[in-house]
Amino acid sequence: MRYRKTFLFMMLLGIMATFTLGAQTRPVTITHWYWADNPNYSKVMQQIAAEFNATNGKGITVVAQEYPWDGGAYSETLFRAVMGGGGPDTSSFKLTSTPLFTANGLLVNLDPWLAKWPDRDKIDASLYNTMRKASGTNSVYVMPWNTQVLYVYYRPSMFRRMGVKVPTTYEEFLEACRKLTFDIDGDGKTDVYGFGMRGARGGHEPWGSFIQARGGTFEDFTTPQAIAGMQDFIDLYRKGYAPPTAPMDGFNEIIANFKSGKTAMTIHHIGSSIGMIDTFGTDVDAFPFPGGVGRWTSMGDTENVMLKGCKERDAAFEWLAYLATGKGQEMWCTATGNVPVSKDVQKLPFFQNNRFMKVSIEGAPYAGIFPILDTTTEWISTIWPNTVAAALTGKMTAAEAMRQLQKGLWGK
Amino acid sequence: MHRKRLVLWPYLLILPALLTILAVVFVPVLKALLMSFQSYDLRRPHRIRYTGLENYGEAFSDPLFWQALMKTAIWVAAGVGMQFIFGFMLALLLNRRFPGRGIVRSLSLIPWVTPGVLIGLMWRWIYDGNYGVLNDLLLRLGLIHDKIPFLAQQSTAFPAVILTIIWQGIPFFALMLLAGLQGIPEELYDAADVDGANAVQKFFRITVPSLKNTIFVTTLLRIIWVANSVDVIFNLTEGGPAYSTQTLSVYVFNKGNTLNLGYASTMAILLALALATVAVPYLRILFRQQEAG
Repeated sequence: MRYRKTFLFMMLLGIMATFTLGAQTRPVTITHWYWADNPNYSKVMQQIAAEFNATNGKGITVVAQEYPWDGGAYSETLFRAVMGGGGPDTSSFKLTSTPLFTANGLLVNLDPWLAKWPDRDKIDASLYNTMRKASGTNSVYVMPWNTQVLYVYYRPSMFRRMGVKVPTTYEEFLEACRKLTFDIDGDGKTDVYGFGMRGARGGHEPWGSFIQARGGTFEDFTTPQAIAGMQDFIDLYRKGYAPPTAPMDGFNEIIANFKSGKTAMTIHHIGSSIGMIDTFGTDVDAFPFPGGVGRWTSMGDTENVMLKGCKERDAAFEWLAYLATGKGQEMWCTATGNVPVSKDVQKLPFFQNNRFMKVSIEGAPYAGIFPILDTTTEWISTIWPNTVAAALTGKMTAAEAMRQLQKGLWGK
Repeated sequence: MHRKRLVLWPYLLILPALLTILAVVFVPVLKALLMSFQSYDLRRPHRIRYTGLENYGEAFSDPLFWQALMKTAIWVAAGVGMQFIFGFMLALLLNRRFPGRGIVRSLSLIPWVTPGVLIGLMWRWIYDGNYGVLNDLLLRLGLIHDKIPFLAQQSTAFPAVILTIIWQGIPFFALMLLAGLQGIPEELYDAADVDGANAVQKFFRITVPSLKNTIFVTTLLRIIWVANSVDVIFNLTEGGPAYSTQTLSVYVFNKGNTLNLGYASTMAILLALALATVAVPYLRILFRQQEAG
């Protein structure tokens, strides 16, 4: 009788264990959307998903699906998909889209998972605060992933040729733009422009450094300081220190101009460094955008989010955590050269010994973001490029342009 | 009973097509019309409400709307006009017998079968102010002394996008007019020869009147298509620099992309009305002439 009881007890235990284990290892599929700047990054993301699938031990399968960044249209594609009741479980994300997504209740509040996540403190608290600020709430809806700090790429050989030292102040930077504009073949035409200006969509980020260097702020573009920064930007173009194509030059154009030797300096982040090294070897270096009255550079950001349609939220968080502080963080940041958010990954030799990473880290203390409002996306995509193009081509004065930019972003 | 079933039968046959058209055309149009009377901005979902004619008032006081409308008129007039002229010339050329005519006819279709997005990207690089082939060509020919940033200057950006749409649309006119030309009986020209008519007289007295209906229909179709087209401009300039290439359809697209669907719908309705004011008299004249003919 006693054996029978023991046998029954053991059986019950066995059944319970089977159910418990079954619950943990029940196959779960998470669909993840992302964008990649080049085919290599696509491959890396697929490798990360495969690595996670093979090692998570919880039966989670991530299906990583790539969508084009398309100059920021990715966010709109994602928005439309989720608003229409579809879309992925998780997705790569840009902070500027947060108000749009939270206003429509499309993101899952990550606070419950963050509260019990052991790796939480591996990410700097200030980053969580930035995420909260972007949502306009006290909650974190967006999981940090990596950042890109804008800095100035330059060609040391051109600096030597023109006898220019690496600028340490804003005035020196403007002077370097002038000196590095020169004629190589003596035909009286400019062959190299000092500054590779980005006047098309996305150009607001480098432009912001000029505004703040003169002491302006993004809260009020109409101050004399902000207008002075705008005037510097206009002068660089009007005086011929930037290519004539600048009003329509976007990412591809500024990179092509720099790589072809058309420009001596341009502003972008570490994401371009691998391509720059491939092109120039050691004849490319970087310095943080110098300060004047004020100092600011743009902190580009890429995060991940969990979308409202996600059913398997614990599994989805496992994946987001893997990207933020796990092997996924190391693999992605090593391949792309982006600045990791995980303090552990930042300490790895690859990041400590990279000259572009050093400049990124040097710029981090004064790196920031534009005000995230419900007007920001339109301001970035149409108002800024068209207004600045009007100012660059002389259709508007600096003060008029700044008034228009103020109205576009702040509504007054 | 049998007669009744016979009467219903045609309606049953067209019902699937009718329902499909209702679902994919009329419902969205109705939805757009309703949204045009709403403050329908997905960036501010809690503020979506009916606002009556507020969007229309905003459009009429929006300088960018009027600028875009003016640009649309120029875009259509210059674009379709030139497409027609060059398309007609190409059709007349292709209607003649010459060696390799089949190959030339096939090749001339390339711009028409190329997707608008691809055309935009291709011409963007052709016009490029640093590496573009057009600048290189003009420099080699000695027509310019310095490279021109075609798409970065307000003075050249709009002509550049118009030139691109002309290039794209010529084969459409050529193809349609060629089909019309081949339907003109040779006897008419033979009779004109007997009467001593010269080439110009034959062209204006036989060719053009015979192609009248084709010209009317193709021009109307092209006016509507070109006025509504977004792909070429968007991929070339996104409406810039300084809104100098922003036609009304591109403005609608930009507003829609920033999720201000109420205002975008209002402008789309106004564009449709503007096109109707051109299309309705145009069709009336056409039908009247057909009845008279």
